[in-house]
Amino acid sequence: MSPDMIIDWLQATLRWGAPLILVAMGEVFAERSGIINVGIEGIMLTGALAGIAVSFFTGNVFLASIGTMLLGALLGLGVAYLTVSRRTNQVVTGLMVNLAALGGTNLLFALLSESRHERVATFPLLFPASFSEIPVIGPILFRQPVSTWFALILPFFAAYFLYRTDWGLNVRAVGDNPKAAATAGLPVIKLKYEAVILSGIFAALGGAALTLSEVGYFASGGMTAGRGFVVLAAVVVGGWDPVRVALACLVFGAADAAQLRMQAMGSTIPYQFLQMLPYVITLIALAGLVGRTRAPKTWGAPYDPADI
Amino acid sequence: MKNEKQPRFLSLPGIGDLALSGVRPLIGISLGLLAGAVLIAISGVNPFTAYVAMLQGALGSPQAIANVLVRASPLLLGGVGVALGIKAGLWNVGIEGYMYAGAIGATWVGIAALPVSPLVHITLAILAAGVVAVIWGVAPAYLRAYRGVNEVISTIMMNYVAIFLVSYLVHEPQPMAEPGSFFPMSLQLAPTARLPILLRGSSLHPGFIIGLAACILFYLILRFTPFGFRTRMLGVNPVGSRYAGVNVKRQILFVLLIGALAGGVAGAVEVMGLKGRLYMDFVAGVGYESVAVALLAAGNPLGVIASALFFAALKAGGATMSIQTGVGGPMTIIIEALCVIFVIGVGYSERKRLTRADKAVKGDEEVKHNVA
Repeated sequence: MSPDMIIDWLQATLRWGAPLILVAMGEVFAERSGIINVGIEGIMLTGALAGIAVSFFTGNVFLASIGTMLLGALLGLGVAYLTVSRRTNQVVTGLMVNLAALGGTNLLFALLSESRHERVATFPLLFPASFSEIPVIGPILFRQPVSTWFALILPFFAAYFLYRTDWGLNVRAVGDNPKAAATAGLPVIKLKYEAVILSGIFAALGGAALTLSEVGYFASGGMTAGRGFVVLAAVVVGGWDPVRVALACLVFGAADAAQLRMQAMGSTIPYQFLQMLPYVITLIALAGLVGRTRAPKTWGAPYDPADI
Repeated sequence: MKNEKQPRFLSLPGIGDLALSGVRPLIGISLGLLAGAVLIAISGVNPFTAYVAMLQGALGSPQAIANVLVRASPLLLGGVGVALGIKAGLWNVGIEGYMYAGAIGATWVGIAALPVSPLVHITLAILAAGVVAVIWGVAPAYLRAYRGVNEVISTIMMNYVAIFLVSYLVHEPQPMAEPGSFFPMSLQLAPTARLPILLRGSSLHPGFIIGLAACILFYLILRFTPFGFRTRMLGVNPVGSRYAGVNVKRQILFVLLIGALAGGVAGAVEVMGLKGRLYMDFVAGVGYESVAVALLAAGNPLGVIASALFFAALKAGGATMSIQTGVGGPMTIIIEALCVIFVIGVGYSERKRLTRADKAVKGDEEVKHNVA
């Protein structure tokens, strides 16, 4: 492997890891509040299409991000209503959101057929192109779109909000012991809603980052390809800590980047085995690290205010 | 059991259960179809025209009914595999992967020209499908049972791996692949490995009979055998069942592997009954729809029969609706998902009531077993 290839791989690692990080940062808060939003795969997929559609019609990436986040908030609200207020099973709810999103995006994409495979306005580079002339770190860091930079900085803000603000403390309290939190006067239901809506917003934004950071088009048939579930794994592997979860996302991004590089290089390994790589690594990481991290105490359990 | 919103008679034992288990799905399905009608209307088609077309496509002729039964075959088998897991409190959502794995096994044996009778060849191919699918299920099942790895994530990861494995196997120069074909596919199955056609002029094969038999068999196992009792006990109260002497880990392993077996047979039936060879993406989401089937049935194997037939009718009718009215084909998937969402949203799910019943033992352990 030449240094150039390693630089190229690291650059792609950040680019493919960034959407995962965005999705994961919302999910961390939802899970810390006790709600596993399994629907992030579907919301991400919806965001991927919404980002492309708004960008196609307005030509404005900023509007596309805002529109996508609003849609994500709406879907997050739906998931929150079902899992928090109706106390439905979180796995069932999420899986059905994913199924509906798969059908919905296929249907809508067929209607928006004129934008099919047509490249739309994508996220611009954050730094002037001349920065990428800097050896080594230039191409790795500065040939990255705004979305990647946002994803790289976000985990530190997320950690700040989770550990250093009242709101973060309250969300953690609600996930660990909702009854005590309610007794202490915290609005448990409201906090859970906020955390789940946040996960919807960032899941959708992550989807938009996937389509608007590089490829610039949407592909029918579930183009997120299980990345939402990879994020669910990353949250567990990273122990519900924003920075460590982001690192886990980067590892999975690296696997994605590696398989794409190896395919492009014409590796002798059949490309299907390369495509399996991110999923296999996720499985191995989950198997190796699960149980060493502490889940929020009411992780995945419904909360009934009437239960004393 | 206090719940102010429910009329009093619903809390009576027996009557309440029956009313709730029957009424809630019907209300939920009605709301799901209504929401589907709204979506169809938004897309610019008269929902009545669309649903009439759907009904005709599902039930309008013997061929249509045969088509529903063909589509129901993998849903019955996949659905009952998921349902068994639900009864044990496990989310065996790897049916898609087991179907691919099973199809590999069935194709492997099916393409061989064996000098045996069709009955023997078909049996061997289905056995091979079961073996490959169970082997496919070992990793997530073991990890869930003995290492506590979340089975939702692991089985879905395995689904993607299975899809790529099939893609590899049907591409040249793999021995299973059809040489010189434009679209990657396997060799054709030997005539002796094809399931017979039951109705002339249709593609009705005995797959749905295998599916129905599996549903009834799983119902009897759950209801009348010690294994079934342990499975249900695990679902109701994992901590309690451990105290009662159940080998919880082994039980989890077996429940997940049996689900894999059912999924594998579903894949075999699809290849041997309908497709005649193995393609890339030949399942196209049926595994995920089986999850919806099992959820609509609340994990009850007999309920799976009803919900699989309902979903198959939606799919078969949806194809007709799509052709006649121009409503997009994926609309049926949305309606399926909406039906399940409304059914679980209408009332507390079965599981929720069970959770309430044993909240006395609610602790770290229980929460972990519920979700991890």
